[in-house]
Amino acid sequence: METSENKRSVIVGIFVFLGIVLFVAGIFTLAGQQKRFVKSIELNAIFDNVAGLKVGNNVWFSGVKIGTVKKIDFYGTSQVKIKMNVEQEAQKYIHKNATAQISSEGFIGNRIIVIEGGNINLPVVESGDRLHVKKALSTDAMLEDLQANNRNLIEITGNLKVISGKMANGEGAIGALLTDSLMAGNLKNTMAGLNSASQNINRTAVSLSAFSNKLNTKGGLVDELLTDTGVFSQLEGSVGNIRKLSVAAASLSEDLSTAGQKLNDKNNAIGVLLNDQESAASLKKTLTNLETSSQKLDENLEALQHNFLLRGFFRKKAKEEEKMK
Amino acid sequence: MKKSGKYIISKKIDGVFTTLYDVYRFLLRFFKEVLFPPYEFKELVKQCYDIGYKSLPLITLTGFITGLVFTKQSRPSLAEFGAASWLPSLVSIAIIRALAPLVTALIAAGKVGSQIGAELGSMKVTEQIDAMEVSGTNPFKFLVVTRMIATTFMIPILAIYTGVVALAGSFINVTQNEQTSFSSFVESSLQNISFLDLFSSVIKATLFGFTIGAVGCYQGYNSSKGTEGVGKAANSAVVVSMFLIFIEEILVVQVVNAIR
Repeated sequence: METSENKRSVIVGIFVFLGIVLFVAGIFTLAGQQKRFVKSIELNAIFDNVAGLKVGNNVWFSGVKIGTVKKIDFYGTSQVKIKMNVEQEAQKYIHKNATAQISSEGFIGNRIIVIEGGNINLPVVESGDRLHVKKALSTDAMLEDLQANNRNLIEITGNLKVISGKMANGEGAIGALLTDSLMAGNLKNTMAGLNSASQNINRTAVSLSAFSNKLNTKGGLVDELLTDTGVFSQLEGSVGNIRKLSVAAASLSEDLSTAGQKLNDKNNAIGVLLNDQESAASLKKTLTNLETSSQKLDENLEALQHNFLLRGFFRKKAKEEEKMK
Repeated sequence: MKKSGKYIISKKIDGVFTTLYDVYRFLLRFFKEVLFPPYEFKELVKQCYDIGYKSLPLITLTGFITGLVFTKQSRPSLAEFGAASWLPSLVSIAIIRALAPLVTALIAAGKVGSQIGAELGSMKVTEQIDAMEVSGTNPFKFLVVTRMIATTFMIPILAIYTGVVALAGSFINVTQNEQTSFSSFVESSLQNISFLDLFSSVIKATLFGFTIGAVGCYQGYNSSKGTEGVGKAANSAVVVSMFLIFIEEILVVQVVNAIR
């Protein structure tokens, strides 16, 4: 009986002990999750609207939970002051100009405060500091924008309705195109022409490409011109020479022009010869006389060769010429 | 308790108030007896063993099935809008805040309450309680106080077991469907649980335990009319304690939400 009672007592003791252990374990797990045993600092922020934030909601930094909302109080006329406990561990990442923003854990999740670290050149926050507040994108604002878009959409669909009605009735160019088979045929032909033209353009482009490739061939004239500075300077020199030559040619042409003008005048010998008909006739007569005289002189000289006084001299000269050959 | 002479309002209404007065006196006597020695430790341990330890298999099975089925039934609704990952959080809130103490109390009301009512009722009708008084043993201290203390302390412990086992059942279902790891499950389960939830749940279970003990003992201790009275006492112990458990649940939830 005594043993049975002892056994029962032990079992009850173990049963109660395990129950209490489970409860305490639950408390510690919960406390650990809520960072109750972690050293923390207190930060403040004043919001215009906390959008349903509650005490105990999480505080996030870079997507990591670093604390919880400790207290929510009204501030001033309509603002809300939030006190939050933030892990001391995270303090070194939050700088003086860090911002706090009301956000949500998901699309329909709990409200949270999101802290953004601020400028790393500034010192870190201290307990009791007030964070700057960044205005969150509210659902109302999003819905307002959406409503504006809806109105635009209604207007656009209304316009489209009018346009499609006109098209269906054959009004306007597109309507005519849709309803008039002749116009559609013309358009088809035009498109075929355009297609052909585009093919030609393609071929031309290919040819141009090939041509430009040739131009770019190493050692070619264009390539040399574009790349070799020596050729360019030579070309520049040549152009200079041509310019000088053209200046000289111009001067020559001017001289020739002057000479031509002088030839037209009768105050010089050639001008008289070219322009004075009387002088020309006289000169012609003189030349005729000279020709006649020279014929007669030729005959006289022929006669001299056959003269007995000079016949020996000429025979001697003919023999010497024969020997020379 | 019968009253002689005229009724103040009517027989039934007067009877209700008379019963309330009797309950008040019964509870007052309990608090008087519990504070002053002698203490019946051996009987208390025996009752704790019977009420607590012996109820453990039934409570474990019920709690496990509750967690498993609740998770399974909640999944389609949450999965419909892609929030199946919220299942651990949802189930843990339901289990810790409400289901663990409530299911434990209802099971205990059925098993323990009826047992106490029938046990004390049969002792009453067989005049064993009178015999104890004659033998110099305080039957109220020995029978009632020990049972009420045992239920008051054992039901919260059973509720803690139920909570743990129900969460285990939920975890099995969640990990089968979502391949969630244990640490992730614990993390998301406790995400929306506060200390207030834990303590209010334990306090609520304590209150339920006290109610089960008080109702069972009162019905059994005040039973009459022979074996019929024993059955009636056992039945009343279950029905009344279950009814009061739901009433208390509503009241405690209101108080806790006011504090929250």
